[in-house]
Amino acid sequence: MDSSIVVTTFDTWTDAALGWIGDHGGALFDAISAVLEGFYGALLWLLDQPPDYAVALLVALLGWRLIGARFALLAGLALLFCAVMGLWSETISTLALVISATILALLVALPTGVVAGYLPRLDAAIGPALDLVQTLPPYIYLLPAIALLGYGPATALAATVIVAMPPAIRLTALGIRMTPPEYIELGQASGITPMQMFFKIRLPFAVPSIMAGINQSLMMAFGMVVIAGIVGSGGLGATIYDAIRKLDIAKSIDAAIAIVVLTMVLDRLTQSASQVRQEGNP
Amino acid sequence: MKQKDTAEILIDCQALWKIFGDRSGAAMSAVTQRGLTKTQVLQEFDCVVGVADASLQVRRGEIFCIMGLSGSGKSTLIRMLNRLIVPSSGRVLVKDRDLAGLNAAELRQMRARHIGMVFQSVALLPHRTVLENAAFGLEVQGLPKPERAKAAEAALRQVGLGDWMQRYPSELSGGMQQRVGLARAIAADPEIILMDEPFSALDPLIRRQLQDEFRQLTKELGKSAVFITHDLEEAIRIGDRIAIMKDGAIIQVGTAEEIVLNPADAYVADFVAGISRLHLVKAHSVMVPVTEFLKGSPGRDIAGLITTRPEADIDELIGLTVRSEDGAIAVAEEGSVVGVVTTRNLLLGVKGTPAAAPDTGIARRA
Repeated sequence: MDSSIVVTTFDTWTDAALGWIGDHGGALFDAISAVLEGFYGALLWLLDQPPDYAVALLVALLGWRLIGARFALLAGLALLFCAVMGLWSETISTLALVISATILALLVALPTGVVAGYLPRLDAAIGPALDLVQTLPPYIYLLPAIALLGYGPATALAATVIVAMPPAIRLTALGIRMTPPEYIELGQASGITPMQMFFKIRLPFAVPSIMAGINQSLMMAFGMVVIAGIVGSGGLGATIYDAIRKLDIAKSIDAAIAIVVLTMVLDRLTQSASQVRQEGNP
Repeated sequence: MKQKDTAEILIDCQALWKIFGDRSGAAMSAVTQRGLTKTQVLQEFDCVVGVADASLQVRRGEIFCIMGLSGSGKSTLIRMLNRLIVPSSGRVLVKDRDLAGLNAAELRQMRARHIGMVFQSVALLPHRTVLENAAFGLEVQGLPKPERAKAAEAALRQVGLGDWMQRYPSELSGGMQQRVGLARAIAADPEIILMDEPFSALDPLIRRQLQDEFRQLTKELGKSAVFITHDLEEAIRIGDRIAIMKDGAIIQVGTAEEIVLNPADAYVADFVAGISRLHLVKAHSVMVPVTEFLKGSPGRDIAGLITTRPEADIDELIGLTVRSEDGAIAVAEEGSVVGVVTTRNLLLGVKGTPAAAPDTGIARRA
């Protein structure tokens, strides 16, 4: 009986707190929502301009430059297949959602990671927070987000940003922290300033780790974007959610294929981008 | 010798201590007040004594070697010379300025302009070309690109890497990489170069070649160098003077000849036992005064002996002795005979025993 009181009290507090934030931060959340949707909308508009075959061609060319002819051919054909399945506009809006969420996540995660790399105490403090974010089921973020930001892409974006941040923070901090000590010593012995130490020594050595973090964040964003179909993300997530509700297995598999195509293409492209950087650093 | 003593002192270390550990401050004051030993410091304060009461002077134009086995504190000591490691006690004066009194910007200036450093790990930046690496010190000083490229190019030519400037470090052999490290240190034209076991990781042949080149280049440019090594032969090959370290303390400082002929203790004696004297011991160390020689062989005509310089080494003396009739060589300085080397003196010299004190030398060995 006692224990149920504790739980009920806790739940009441949680609801009250969320309600209070919603009541008093309305303007703030409206603004956040507007910014998120504006950013997403602009990117979507941009990606939606070229016809499907042009996008496929562009990706193929990029893949040819970065990876090779075989990947270029496969990636181009796979993207065209998404269009053939009639899922092109959904694919593009999912792409826009993932990219905008990743960019927003990186805007916070990269500077945070750099600072955490320098300050072991901050790193130790945010470690548990990142653990929490990464271990909680992703669905958890949808409810408060929907309560504060409403149904629509802004909510999906906010939840995706939260999920996408931890890997980039962790791997950026790791990269900054893991500068080989002999190079730190070289810098000090050469009489360099702290700023030069960052840009000329720590950052170049951290690039592979940071690129790996960006790739991981992108993958987390992909995972979340499908789940966010429930809160009105639109795109392939919405298609899958819709198909599940109607038990339209064929449709859901079509959308899943489109997701897999998109994920693999972006994964390979960003991975190879980080490898190119590493080869440039022989 | 006397000229050297009056030469300008570039680095002056006075009673340097470094104690590592959480309670190093307390340990340091206990050492000064109660004179604890290294073991006592470890037991009482859980701190490690890295360098204990080290004093040394490096003069302009001199190559000063610090020789010691791993854990002897030599790497810690060299890092206190440019304050990469802050001493627990004692002072370091570089060009008469106390490093402890410099602010951050002044210390950066001091390191950038006056003290170059070469590392055992080389630490070439992998994403930069050889030229960009050699120009690194000048780049961080804010020199315009054409100027620093010019200085770096000149430095690279001096170390024989003029044709490799656009390559990346990974394309170079270990010996070549270390040459780039040296070029990087001299490109900024510092008076002092700190060398932290730079050649230890190289194969013997390349190492000898680099040792000779380094010595020649340093002398040519008129630089002073502090050279850390665990190899006494290397110290002898390179150094004008050698300091021998053990357990954080400097136990002997002197020229190679002084150390080989008069080792300060059994530890140093052990070290020098295997060193060939052929090129190390000079005539002035093994000769006996003319009067003493005449006591042994009265009536000998000194003027009739083969004559050589006081700086002639054992190798040269052996050649002369073989050619002489009765194994006595006169040592002349500025036209007058200052001593005589007999076959007996020569053999004692090969053995590493100075002519003046043959008996104590033998007793020390036994």
